[in-house]
Amino acid sequence: MTTEIMPAQDLPQIKGVKDVPYDELFVSGHRTCQGCESALVMRHMVKASGPRTIVLGSTGCMYVANTTYYTTPWVVPWMHTQLGASGSAALGTAAGLKVLMRKGKLKNEKINVIAFCGDGGGADMGIGAISATLTHKDYNCLVLLYDNESYANTDIQLSSQTPYGAVTTFSPSGDKKRLMHTRWKKNVPGMLAAGHPESRYIAAGCAAYAVDLMNKIRKALELGGPTFVHTLDPCPKGWDYHPQYSQELGHLAVETGIWPLYEVVDGVCNLTGPTRQIAEGRKKRKPVYEYLKRQGRFAHFIDEDVEHFQAQVDKMWTDWLIPGVIPFTVPAKDVAILKIDKKPMHEQKTA
Amino acid sequence: MAEERSVSIEVVYRGIFQKTLAQRICRSVVLAARKRGHTGTAFARYGDSPERNGVPAKQFAVVAADELELEASMAKYEPSVVDVSIAVDDTLVKGVESWAWYGRQPIWKPVRANGWLLVTSDKKPDEVLAQTDKAERPYTLGIVPGGASFAGLWVYKDDHTDFRVLGALAKILPQWIALDDAKAASLELAKGDQSAVASVQYGYDATTMRRVKDGEGTSGHEVLQFKKPGWTKMRPGVIVEARKPGERNPYYKKYGARTMRPVVNFDTCIKCTMCWLDCPDECFEVTPEGHYEVVYEACIGCGICAQVCPVKDCIVMVDELKFTDNKDKWQLWKTDHSKYNSWFEDMSGVSADPKKGASGSVPPNANPAANAATNPGADPAANPTTSAGGDE
Repeated sequence: MTTEIMPAQDLPQIKGVKDVPYDELFVSGHRTCQGCESALVMRHMVKASGPRTIVLGSTGCMYVANTTYYTTPWVVPWMHTQLGASGSAALGTAAGLKVLMRKGKLKNEKINVIAFCGDGGGADMGIGAISATLTHKDYNCLVLLYDNESYANTDIQLSSQTPYGAVTTFSPSGDKKRLMHTRWKKNVPGMLAAGHPESRYIAAGCAAYAVDLMNKIRKALELGGPTFVHTLDPCPKGWDYHPQYSQELGHLAVETGIWPLYEVVDGVCNLTGPTRQIAEGRKKRKPVYEYLKRQGRFAHFIDEDVEHFQAQVDKMWTDWLIPGVIPFTVPAKDVAILKIDKKPMHEQKTA
Repeated sequence: MAEERSVSIEVVYRGIFQKTLAQRICRSVVLAARKRGHTGTAFARYGDSPERNGVPAKQFAVVAADELELEASMAKYEPSVVDVSIAVDDTLVKGVESWAWYGRQPIWKPVRANGWLLVTSDKKPDEVLAQTDKAERPYTLGIVPGGASFAGLWVYKDDHTDFRVLGALAKILPQWIALDDAKAASLELAKGDQSAVASVQYGYDATTMRRVKDGEGTSGHEVLQFKKPGWTKMRPGVIVEARKPGERNPYYKKYGARTMRPVVNFDTCIKCTMCWLDCPDECFEVTPEGHYEVVYEACIGCGICAQVCPVKDCIVMVDELKFTDNKDKWQLWKTDHSKYNSWFEDMSGVSADPKKGASGSVPPNANPAANAATNPGADPAANPTTSAGGDE
């Protein structure tokens, strides 16, 4: 008896804000911060996936704050899984469903499996498990990494997703040493997209562009197989800004080119949203200072630091093969033999 | 009072926003008391960790006559009874719902009989008392002048709230914190800035006291107390009942974490859905006309809706202490249009008529948010719809 891949859900693309499903599957009454963008990601995630969804939560803000004291805002089935185990939990749940359906113990129907993890549980600890999951092409599961650029749940420690120079409790700025953290942010969606050719969908999104994010989640679930979505979530707690500016900072992260939005569908990379407009030259990239100056975690920056940050982001846009995705290019003599037709994507400097 | 061997002080504050402020207050208390030869310690409550923006949290300062006494009073890692409770945001008097327990507790709950409740506020004692739960034992309410200071976490935007509070403490606990010691401690904390000393003196002079008798206060707030299930009732595998579609989590309502709340002008609303779409707390519900109304029980008051709303002054953030209930207001708009609009104008200080701009009348109780510029009605940036007037 051959086993077939479970049918994936039929989830049409959302055309605009008026088309967003109204029903809440992640309801009010979660102990998240004021202005928590990650809670918005959870809300949009289950809005996009619909009621026939199983959600698995790796330890982090979205597990702790949403299931405090024996109460929960989840309408869909949800289970906690360990820090770093979101990939394994997603794969195991998908495999379990498949077996139960094959043996006739469950009705053969479309059930989405989504495992979420934070940047600590996904980009640091869980990256191996996520990587392994993305190679098992017979199982339908989505891993969603919500990235607030620190271990925000345990009061803001440094992670591999913390941007250059940012203040955290592990990297305070002092009189002797201004910048305690001088490593550049790890390029997780690009790394996973480059390294897992059999995963049909890998994307970078941001909840400030809600419809774009929901469509990415829908596309991932519709294509099936192991898929991955990485979202950048402004975090008023760790970034030290007034919560009302969460959306604005999400927009700025994309408009300054720091966080490119893209999707890799069956090996084809599409830039989306403002990132596409920047690449086409229809929109000027804003200077990164616009983004940095609004956050307390960069308050110690001097001009030199802002210039370094800007130079790194510029390099991503001018030198990378694909901005935000492929961080290298090839020597001029190999362009022809490798059939790379790289036009300068973006010769303009920032606005 | 003379034979008192130790004193416990708690600071109730808005998590993260005021964490650094609370730390500074507790440290300054211990520093000042040490100058008198007392000993003491300042610590945060484990049950409040991890803190969340706006969710109430507590830190403590315990001061004692000697080490032995301090050990004895520190046997409990969190004093269940305190002599002084300090609320550094006046909206906290509406009740405290923290990480450390289920439900809402009155702000005076841990204060001993005839203890003190200090509140930083720019309102009069009676206005604050009108929003405080009905007292069950007598205490003294002290109002330390000044708005709520959301001083920030990494960047401490200093407004001397800590020094004014220290001055007020020197007034009520002179045997533990003498005014001169408070001044000396503040000078150390402010690295020699003399204006800190002036702020201590101002807190000492300008704090107004009001004796509160049994039964004074309001009984209008929701009780919000729950029966805990206990381990015998819990299902194996720690299974928690999921929410039903369309219901909200009844065991945790977010209004206890709110300093400001949005009020909506339905006349200027263009039904663009942005507030509903971008609300992280699912607190907007669509009305038959396609407007979005705020469910006040679920709103944490983050202000994102006012920020993303494309219409100027359609959603205005207003000081929480101006409201006495969480009732739904859209019904009022349906039944009595002009009454709703006058309520909107009264609360927001903004004209409900879209043809007029802001009426410019400053609401008397405007609560300065993270920056003074977000004072509703005080200036056009009160409800910024652009990046202008941000918190740089």
